[in-house]
Amino acid sequence: MTIGSPGDPDPFATLVPMSLVIDGITKRFGPVTALDGVSLSVEPGRIFGLLGANGAGKTTCMRIVLDILRADAGTVTWEGQANTDLPRRTWGYLPEERGLYLRMTVIDVLTFFASLYGVEPAAATAEVEDWLQRFRIPDYRDRKVEELSKGNQQKIQFIAAIIHDPAVLIMDEPFSGLDPVNVQLLKEAFVEMRDRGKTLIFSTHQMETAEELCESIAIIDRGRVVVSGAVRDVKHAMGRQVVRLATGGDGNGAEWLDGMDGISITARREDFVELRVPAGTDPELILRAAIDRGERVTRFEIGEPSLEEIFIEHVGRPAAAEEERHLAATSRDAPRADER
Amino acid sequence: MTSLLPNARHIARREYRQRTRSRTFVIVSAFLAVIGLGIALFPVVGRLIAGDQTTTIAIYSVDAELTSSTALSMAHLLNTGAEAQYKVEAADDAASAATDVRSGKIDGLLRVTRGADGELAFDVLTDAGPNDQRLFAVRQAVVQVNIADRLQRAGVDPAQAGQIFAETAWKVTPLDPNAHRLEENFGANYVLAYALVILTFMAVITYGQWVATSVAEEKSSRVMELLITAATPRQLLAGKVIGNGAAGLTQYAVVVVAALAGLLLQGLVAQYLLGDKAGAPLEDVNLWVFAPFGVFFIGGFALYALLYAGLGSMASRTEDVQQVTGPMIFIGMAGYFAAFTAINIPEAGWVKLVSLIPFFSPYMLPMRMLISTVAPWEWVVGAALMVIFLAGALWLAARVYSAGVLLYGQRASLRSVWRAVRVDR
Repeated sequence: MTIGSPGDPDPFATLVPMSLVIDGITKRFGPVTALDGVSLSVEPGRIFGLLGANGAGKTTCMRIVLDILRADAGTVTWEGQANTDLPRRTWGYLPEERGLYLRMTVIDVLTFFASLYGVEPAAATAEVEDWLQRFRIPDYRDRKVEELSKGNQQKIQFIAAIIHDPAVLIMDEPFSGLDPVNVQLLKEAFVEMRDRGKTLIFSTHQMETAEELCESIAIIDRGRVVVSGAVRDVKHAMGRQVVRLATGGDGNGAEWLDGMDGISITARREDFVELRVPAGTDPELILRAAIDRGERVTRFEIGEPSLEEIFIEHVGRPAAAEEERHLAATSRDAPRADER
Repeated sequence: MTSLLPNARHIARREYRQRTRSRTFVIVSAFLAVIGLGIALFPVVGRLIAGDQTTTIAIYSVDAELTSSTALSMAHLLNTGAEAQYKVEAADDAASAATDVRSGKIDGLLRVTRGADGELAFDVLTDAGPNDQRLFAVRQAVVQVNIADRLQRAGVDPAQAGQIFAETAWKVTPLDPNAHRLEENFGANYVLAYALVILTFMAVITYGQWVATSVAEEKSSRVMELLITAATPRQLLAGKVIGNGAAGLTQYAVVVVAALAGLLLQGLVAQYLLGDKAGAPLEDVNLWVFAPFGVFFIGGFALYALLYAGLGSMASRTEDVQQVTGPMIFIGMAGYFAAFTAINIPEAGWVKLVSLIPFFSPYMLPMRMLISTVAPWEWVVGAALMVIFLAGALWLAARVYSAGVLLYGQRASLRSVWRAVRVDR
């Protein structure tokens, strides 16, 4: 995993030739620069999260990888081959804007898309039935798509993305609009695909989901990669820790902590306080200070910062808040050119 | 470059099935079939509706002998054709005959009076207008009756009088044999030429619109993003044009079969309804026209449909399709009107030139073949230009399409189309 600036040769690309390498991609739409020298690499057989607020450039990045948009500069390679030379069945795609032929039956839609990738009807049908079973909707095989609920349509959309057994699965906000039960089913499907050796890339602005599923991530802000790498490394690179402390003494105000150098309280909860400890400060100092004060310590935990905190640290605001502001801003000036 | 097949075939098959299974398609096809059948049976039905076509004239004079001799001559002079079109009867009473005219029971009352000088005078009581052909025919007959009467009074021998009324030798030599073709020879070839021009126009506009709408629907339902990941723009375009074209041809086949059935049954229906036989309707028609017509019809449809698909991709909603495809309707109309103008002057220089241009050749070449002649080299040049334009249209449409399908919310204009063509996605 590397962070690159435009034009920089990626020193790691040669070390992992089997991976997906995005190198120095720039894309402009008229006066707007949607992507500005984006470089990433994704190891095969992993789940990779592309994190960013709406309008950050995630969709454009995915479309360029899929070769439905062409970059103004930069290259995309998979296993050392340029994406423009790769067969289309290499990729599976779940677009953010869902869309299927509503008046066709589930089985007809899915075998149609399978046929475009050269999958025989019999093989496609068997695969579809298997997945419908897995998603607990085997009875919907011969129903028209328009008769299905949004959540079930989304499952069909997911099957459409993987029906041809692609090596790389690219999904744009796959969890948006799903209820918790279906989110869980989809997460299980992700893990299933990963276990089959597939590479999964998905975008999201829900940090908890990324935290749970991703081995590696990249945070994109305004068309630039601000941080990327294995989640473990990214957290480590933050250079500080989080301490959660609960004491049984005089409430949880713990005002005495404010006097300690370099330590700041990030959250005061009902039963504990969360502290940010800078790199170079030993968290045990806090424990010792508490004991010295005669506090009865009921919880002391040293943790790494969450992806949410990392996102805020790099982007300056939470992804979800950005999302709401973005929606409020764009709903005013319709009609507009969609984010691409 | 990926090959067009087999994905174009998969897309065409889906397109064809969806189109032909829709309720609208079935209803419209059935409706058109009924119209086709109706047009084929029109001559018979028209005669059935018009009913009795004979004109009845009553003759009256105070002299009963004059009445009957005039009636006899008039009946003979008026009914020159095979069928009796005029019924001439002698009236006993002028007043009651006049009442019959007023009530519409008979078409006219001809009163004959002989003056003191022996000259005959005629007056007609009728509802017919001054330009009614039947009135002219009656007048012509009356003139002959009068001349015969004068000859008789002058004591001319009836045999000699017969010679006087013998037929006159008469021939017209046209200055320009082509100048008044249409009026002179409104034959089956002309009818067919008109029919082919109208069929081509309807195919290009209607089925072209289908293609554009189908593209816009995929865009507005957002299934497009999945499609362009799975197939290339050229495969999608070719599949759409072939699928919708095949559906359109299916509809045409239904109509043509209905019309042919009507033509074949015309004699039978006429015999059953009217008790007589109609002539064979497809006599004298140059049926060879269907070979080149088929080729140019399909080529022309594909040319229009490809551009329709490209323009359709610029529309974000199906409501915008009409607006973005305006230029295609304009070109289609131009060809249609050019063909209708040219049908009267098929030998004109501009007609020959325009009939080679691919947007117009499907209208013009079969039409010229039917009512004039088309040189072999003209077929070759027309076909070659069609192939070149088709290749160009596929390139252009794919270019517009691959840019247009990801363009949402923008108002489509010719300028945005142009930008799409120039900019590489």
